[in-house]
Amino acid sequence: MIRISLIITVLALMLPLPRLWAADSPQEERQELMEGVKDAAKPVGGMLKGEQEFDAAIAMKSFQTWSDAADVVGDLFPEGTESGYDTEAKETIWTDREGFNDQLAAFAKAVDAAIDANPQDLDALKAAAGPIFKACKGCHEGYRVEDEH
Amino acid sequence: MGLALLFWFLTRPDVLSLDDLPDHRPDRDNGEQVFYAGGCASCHESGLGGGLEMNSDFGSFRVPNISPDPVSGIGVWTTLEFVNAMMRGVAPDGSHYYPAFPYTSYTRMKVRDVMDLKAYIDSFEPVSHKVAEHELRFPWTWRRGIGLWKQRYFKQEPPSVNSSGNPLIARGQYLANGAGHCAECHTSRDEFGGLIISQWLAGGPNPEGEGRVPNITPHADGLGSWTIKDIAYYLESGFMPDYDTVGGSMVKVQENMARLPDSDREALAAYLKSIPARPDPGD
Repeated sequence: MIRISLIITVLALMLPLPRLWAADSPQEERQELMEGVKDAAKPVGGMLKGEQEFDAAIAMKSFQTWSDAADVVGDLFPEGTESGYDTEAKETIWTDREGFNDQLAAFAKAVDAAIDANPQDLDALKAAAGPIFKACKGCHEGYRVEDEH
Repeated sequence: MGLALLFWFLTRPDVLSLDDLPDHRPDRDNGEQVFYAGGCASCHESGLGGGLEMNSDFGSFRVPNISPDPVSGIGVWTTLEFVNAMMRGVAPDGSHYYPAFPYTSYTRMKVRDVMDLKAYIDSFEPVSHKVAEHELRFPWTWRRGIGLWKQRYFKQEPPSVNSSGNPLIARGQYLANGAGHCAECHTSRDEFGGLIISQWLAGGPNPEGEGRVPNITPHADGLGSWTIKDIAYYLESGFMPDYDTVGGSMVKVQENMARLPDSDREALAAYLKSIPARPDPGD
C-alpha cells in the first residue's frame, strides 16, 4: 500500500516534467525576448532615419513591446545560466547584479516615459526614443559579451 | 663606415620647419571638431592624462599624457613641435614615435586642422601624471630603427577613390584617412606592423585579443547591405541596421563621431560606400 502510494506520488511528480523539459531554457527565453526587442526597434529607427513615415500607433506598439520585455527581462538571468546556448550574457550580470538592475531600471523608466509622452510627431518620437536607445547601448556595454562588432 | 652613414641617412627624422606652417590664427572650435573626429580621448583618456596600455605582438605601449601639463604633459610644446609629432611622428627631442601613435594617418591632415587641434588641447586642464615607458621586446626597443620602418610604411597611400565632383566623398576620405584614422584598426597589418594596403579597411583578426575587427568595405563580408543612411545613423546612434548595438572599442569611437555634424557622418558613410569592396582576409 505504501509502495503503491509512493509510486503514485512519484508518477504524479513526474507528470509535469515533460512540460518543464520542453520549455525554453532561460538562455533561450532571453534571447527570444531580445530578438523581439530588436524587431520592435526597426520601425522606430526607420522613422528616425527617415526611411519610413512617422506613425504614432506603430511607435506606441514598439513601446508596449519594450514595456512587456522590461517587466520580465530581469528574471531571465538566474544563477546557473551564466553559460550555454551561445549566451552573450557577461559574467558581470552575476558579479554586479545591482549595476545590471540599475541598467534595466533605466530602460524601464525610459520606456514608461515614452508611453506617457505618447509622441505625435517625429521630433517628439526622437526625444522619447533617445533615452531608450541609450539605455540599450549602456546595458550592452557593461553586461554583454562582444562578438565581432 | 659607408653602411653606418647610409643607416644614419635612412633613419634620420624628417621634420617640417617653421616655413611650412601657414599663417593661420588657430580656431579652437574647429579644433574641437578635429578632436572628436580623431577620438584623441579614446586612447589618451578623457582628461588627456594618458596611461592606457595597448598590448600588441611587439609588447605593451603606454599612451602618453597629452594634457597641457608642462612637466608630464605637452604644455611646453611649440606649435611646430606639435605639428611634427602629429604629421611626421617625431618628438620634440628628435626621436621617432612608434606608429602605435597613428601619425601614419595624421600625416594626411591639413596643417591648419592640426594647429586648430593644438589650440583646443591647450584649453584642457593640465593633468600631472607621469606615464611609465613602453615595455617592448627587442629589437622594437630601438627607436632609431623606426626610421627604417618609416621608409617602408610611412607614406603609403590608400586605394584611390574617385571623388572628383563629389565633395561629400572627398570630405569623408579626408576624415576617414586623416584624423579619423579608421584604417589603423580596420586594416590588417603585416609582420612588421605595417598596414597591408591591398586589404584596405577589410578588417581582420583583432591584434589586441579575441574576435575580429569588422570589414567596413562595401563587400558582402562588410557593409555591403548597409546604406549610406545606415552607416551615418550607426555613427550617430550606435545602432546597426538590425538594431543590435555598437560594442567593444568602437563604442568610444562612435560616441566621438556622434559629436560631429550630420554632414561629416554622411561624408564618412559616402566614402566607405565608395571604396573598393574586399572580402575578409584569410587568417
